[in-house]
Amino acid sequence: MGASVDVSYVFEYFVRLLPSVGITLEIVALSLLIGSAVGMLVALPRLYRIPVLQRLSQVYVSFFRGTPLLIQLFLIYYGLPELLKLVHADVSRTPVLVFVVAAYALHSGAFISEAIRAAVGAVDRGQVEAGYAIGMTGFQAFRRIVLPQAIAVAMPVFGNLVIANLKDTSLAFSLGIMELTGKAQTLPTMSQRFFESYLALALLYFILSFILQKGLYRLERRLLRHEPADGSASSPAKGRRARRREAAARLNLTEEGALR
Amino acid sequence: MIALKQIRKSFGKQEVLKGIDLAVEKGEVVAILGPSGSGKTTLLRCINYLERPGSGHIRIGDAAVDCGHPSKKDIHRLRGRSAMVFQQYHLFRHKTALQNVMEGLVVVQNVPKEEARRRSAELLEKVGLGAKLDAYPSQLSGGQQQRVGIARALALNPDVILFDEPTSALDPELVGEVLSVIRKIAREGITMIIVTHEMAFAQEVASRIVFMDDGAVIEEGEPAEFFRSPREERTKQFLKRMTPEGVYNI
Ligand SMILES: Nc1ncnc2c1ncn2[C@@H]1O[C@H](COP(=O)(O)OP(=O)(O)OP(=O)(O)O)[C@@H](O)[C@H]1O
Ligand SMILES: [Mg+2]
Repeated sequence: MGASVDVSYVFEYFVRLLPSVGITLEIVALSLLIGSAVGMLVALPRLYRIPVLQRLSQVYVSFFRGTPLLIQLFLIYYGLPELLKLVHADVSRTPVLVFVVAAYALHSGAFISEAIRAAVGAVDRGQVEAGYAIGMTGFQAFRRIVLPQAIAVAMPVFGNLVIANLKDTSLAFSLGIMELTGKAQTLPTMSQRFFESYLALALLYFILSFILQKGLYRLERRLLRHEPADGSASSPAKGRRARRREAAARLNLTEEGALR
Repeated sequence: MIALKQIRKSFGKQEVLKGIDLAVEKGEVVAILGPSGSGKTTLLRCINYLERPGSGHIRIGDAAVDCGHPSKKDIHRLRGRSAMVFQQYHLFRHKTALQNVMEGLVVVQNVPKEEARRRSAELLEKVGLGAKLDAYPSQLSGGQQQRVGIARALALNPDVILFDEPTSALDPELVGEVLSVIRKIAREGITMIIVTHEMAFAQEVASRIVFMDDGAVIEEGEPAEFFRSPREERTKQFLKRMTPEGVYNI
């Protein structure tokens, strides 16, 4: 192993890692997409207090929040085929990626359902009643009034999830997926320049998160355009996070806000 | 036009409405007065079924609900006949003033977007917000928000508009603008039921006063008469507390 860091290796590995960005982003995108659907489904029984399902969704959420992702990956990779055998489905030829995506989707689903639950709770009940009062059905009020605002409120949390998910995909190599981290481990087998490889890897993750964060922040601003960033935007002392929290809080102003 | 028969409502063990009867004719403006906790808000909320009465009958125009056996369809029809203006405005915060007013037209009444937009803009013009069509609620003062709330109610062309203390969340200097809008639409012959603590306004704008206490209608009458010579002891007590001395010694 060379004595000092050889920047040219860092550069070389960086370039050679680029093709693996695709698979990493694929895992992120698929698992968040599926995870959002799962999260929504899991949030509903708790939002509407449906007796048995409510318990089930609680258990699901606690499990996926309370156990390490790596273990979940293994459990699903080794356990799901066994479960599926019970219904005579043979998954021995199913690509590993499917299990990986399933694990990440179930994992994010737990967090997303919590985010949705909190966000729906933050949309004040009065607006729903106003919806009913103009003749909306429950479903219309949910879709047109609650959901858009809940999504806006949940965006910061969702944004954090996207970033966390991106970083977590690095565990997929343990099941042999050649995503970024897996690739970064194989590159230096000849040169033994592991440090340079991991440095390039870190750099790449950092750049990806940075771009994602920027994009997500834009989206968030757009979704919350009805809640002005006014005073807070001009005072740099107030952090972005504080502003987000305020925006979320403002959605929730009912009694206090108006009584003053 | 509107008929309430023996409306009862309890929260847990507490009976909040103890058999309310009320009939309102088309074009009437009824002001409901009464001490805090007497059940005024609950009554309004029962009329459009934001609160489920335990028993009784509600009819608005051709929509009727038997509160003992309400069907989803009947409730939906009933809600379609009324509109509500809330104490806390309850505007849709992610929609502009114009979109707030359009929402019911487009989503509930299936009016084509263009026409809904035109009608909504006219209504906002009428409540003095022609320049604020694209403002979000967070960019409007309380008085402006409440006027959007009134336009939103008007848009549906309901048989009756229910107002629950439409000015009591407002800073004093903003009360006037909202009252004058209500006054204006009252003159157009729109049927209204208004819960209010603004005695002078009630006397001026209402065609009838209904006084409630402890979940029951205690007394009703024509405004001048009601304020000059209330019949019931409880009404007298209430008026004495609510009105500065001398104001109503006409
Ligand atoms: N959701 C509820 N759950 C339990 N009790 C309630 C609920 N809403 C109202 N009440 C009770 O019902 C009674 C009547 O309340 P209501 O809000 O109708 O009175 P009000 O005449 O509108 O009073 P105010 O003038 O203060 O607005 C009160 O004792 C109140 O505590
Ligand atoms: Mg009230």
